[in-house]
Amino acid sequence: MILLQNTRIASENSPVLVEGDVLIVEGVIQQIGPGLAVPEGARVIDARGRILMPAMFDAHVHFRAPGFENKETITTGSEAAINGGVTGVVMMPNTRPAIDSSAVVSTVLESAKRKSRIPVYTSGCVTKDREGKELAEIDGMRLLGVTMLTDDGDTTGDPAVLLRAMQYATEFGMFFASHCEVPELAGPRAINEGVMSYRLGIKGSPACAEEIIIDRDIRLARAAGAHVHIQHVSSKMGMETIKWWKSRGDVKVTAEVAPHHLLFTEEHIGDYDTNYKMNPPLRTQADCDALLEGLKEGVFDLIATDHAPHTPFEKAQDFISAPNGITGLETALVSLYHFFVRPEKFGWDLVVKRYSAEPRRLMGLPVPTIEVGQPAECLLFDTEAETTFTKEFMKSKSQNTPFINQTLQGRVDVVILGTEILLEREATVAVG
Amino acid sequence: MARKDLLDIASLQREEIELLLDQSTAFKQLLTSSGKKVPVLEGKSVLMLFYEPSTRTHSSFEVAAKRLSAEVTNFNVAHSSITKGESVRETIETLQAMRTDYIIVRHGRSGLPGMIARLTKASVINAGDGAHEHPTQALLDAFTIKEKFADPRGKRVLIIGDILHSRVARSTSTLLQKLGVEVAYLGPGSLVPKYGPATIRRFTNYDEAMAWGPDFVYLLRVQMERQDVQFFPSLREYHRIYGITNTRLEDIRQRGLYIMHPGPVNRGVELCDAVMDYERSLINNQAENGIAVRMAVLNWLTPGGDLPKREPAYASRSGAAPALVMP
Repeated sequence: MILLQNTRIASENSPVLVEGDVLIVEGVIQQIGPGLAVPEGARVIDARGRILMPAMFDAHVHFRAPGFENKETITTGSEAAINGGVTGVVMMPNTRPAIDSSAVVSTVLESAKRKSRIPVYTSGCVTKDREGKELAEIDGMRLLGVTMLTDDGDTTGDPAVLLRAMQYATEFGMFFASHCEVPELAGPRAINEGVMSYRLGIKGSPACAEEIIIDRDIRLARAAGAHVHIQHVSSKMGMETIKWWKSRGDVKVTAEVAPHHLLFTEEHIGDYDTNYKMNPPLRTQADCDALLEGLKEGVFDLIATDHAPHTPFEKAQDFISAPNGITGLETALVSLYHFFVRPEKFGWDLVVKRYSAEPRRLMGLPVPTIEVGQPAECLLFDTEAETTFTKEFMKSKSQNTPFINQTLQGRVDVVILGTEILLEREATVAVG
Repeated sequence: MARKDLLDIASLQREEIELLLDQSTAFKQLLTSSGKKVPVLEGKSVLMLFYEPSTRTHSSFEVAAKRLSAEVTNFNVAHSSITKGESVRETIETLQAMRTDYIIVRHGRSGLPGMIARLTKASVINAGDGAHEHPTQALLDAFTIKEKFADPRGKRVLIIGDILHSRVARSTSTLLQKLGVEVAYLGPGSLVPKYGPATIRRFTNYDEAMAWGPDFVYLLRVQMERQDVQFFPSLREYHRIYGITNTRLEDIRQRGLYIMHPGPVNRGVELCDAVMDYERSLINNQAENGIAVRMAVLNWLTPGGDLPKREPAYASRSGAAPALVMP
């Protein structure tokens, strides 16, 4: 039994926080109300000043297993998730071997069961080894629970291959997640083509390289009657393209935005700082502004981090040689609070809706809520405390984030999943 | 303020540029009068780390260092397989044992000299990094221009060619603007980026650019090796549309314009053969002035001291955590 006293409860349906105590018995929320009696043997958490909300779900992470365990493992990745208030994730399949068959999916899921304290789901490749040529073993993966197909890391280059995959797999209720980038236009450098690429003398990736594929893949989905999910949108016109297609209403399209694309611009790259090297690249302030509006308007169904760990060894190379990507699981919720909720750009209801509820709906999973009778899957967030993202704080195997050694306002204090308290930041728990 | 490294023009103050150009004048006078070595860097060591082939810049730096009485070591990596940043780090860590005072580095990767500068207490001079910067080329260009106009403020320089891939265009235009010179770019639309500095006019039509009234026409070498896709149909077409043809040379002669080029020249592409004999061609002056300018740079830098740190962009914008201005 866990009794959370004096919390303020956030939900996706209301910007208003509801005050009260919450009693969790055997992993299920049994009572909500003011001044609940303390049952004998209950663990009591004085949550005064803290906000209780459903735990987050990240539909776009790279746990690097199998094949790149020097960057991240399922264990370290899932512990990083818990550290950031996330209790479920969807892995991307750009591993080695790529997650493109029932055999690999089975290995990954078995491993996740043993090595993770939270549910870890995986997407599967559209094409074998993500090469864009032959269709992956779609039905075999579906039988193991895979619903999302993506060649993430790259676009499925051949539109005919993707169209056939959509026509085929839609029959099984699967959907497609698209990493949008024309490789011939983009180049491998992961910097926006613009002021900064000119100044630094690096070949840039124009926003149109992304926007062309956003439009292409939605058109393909429309032709196939498929559901397409557009990943990590970085440009204003990309957002507007999705908005236009959604307004037509004749194709099922969802989309995600990453915190770093809301927060940072190409200018942050400064003196070739590889912690700002990611794909799609950081673009301009006008793009950030448009993405934020898109998030508030619901053009973006969900927030996802694209958590992409790389070793210090790799990121310490020069900008051109360093790999793309930054970690995000441990910084997302705190940075969303610090930069958006706290200055009232948007409310907790948006965070809960876009980073907890909608990602689970996308994956066809039950959506946790703070309501009587619901399974407990929640977190406590202290708005008055601070988080300093030191190497010691991080549970991820890699610390390639612009927030390293930075302090932000807000802290994920407690994470509860069913009968387990997965995270207790400090001595917050007393025995009643 | 003493500087350890010369990595770019962008971070140089105008006073520092003026000082370097004045010292270049002194070194040029010294050399043209005596031609002997001076003991300025006696006992100091200079490591030449050229990851890209180079004749002009390499030999210019080597002569400059030797004339300052430095000991010069060439680390020949131009044709080695060492290209990745991490290999460079290992190389630098190894070379630390040599206790070199100056490292002159050329590399195809933009930003790599800056990375090396953060790894070593030696003074690092960027001798060209990718399409980023080539600061000593900019200094010698400015020096050459100042030999013609002691006060170049208000003069106009038209830089013609592959701006997109040119570190010379970036450094030289930045420096000239700091000296009050007006700069414009001319080239094929595919090679003159629209998102370049707003202070630099952009032309894609030769006649319109000439109507702007330049005092100097600065031709860039067409670098086919840097172009991973086709940016214009043929060299012949390039010469006809953007090159200095015989007819255009006559027009330039009548206008009394100076012609510059960083070399090596692609004859028949950027310019016709006759340009080399044009009395206002400054191409050889540039090469000669390079030695004096590089001597001034070596003399100016101060090896040792603390390694430069890269201030995180996040921190520089944010200060205290809550202060970061966000959308």
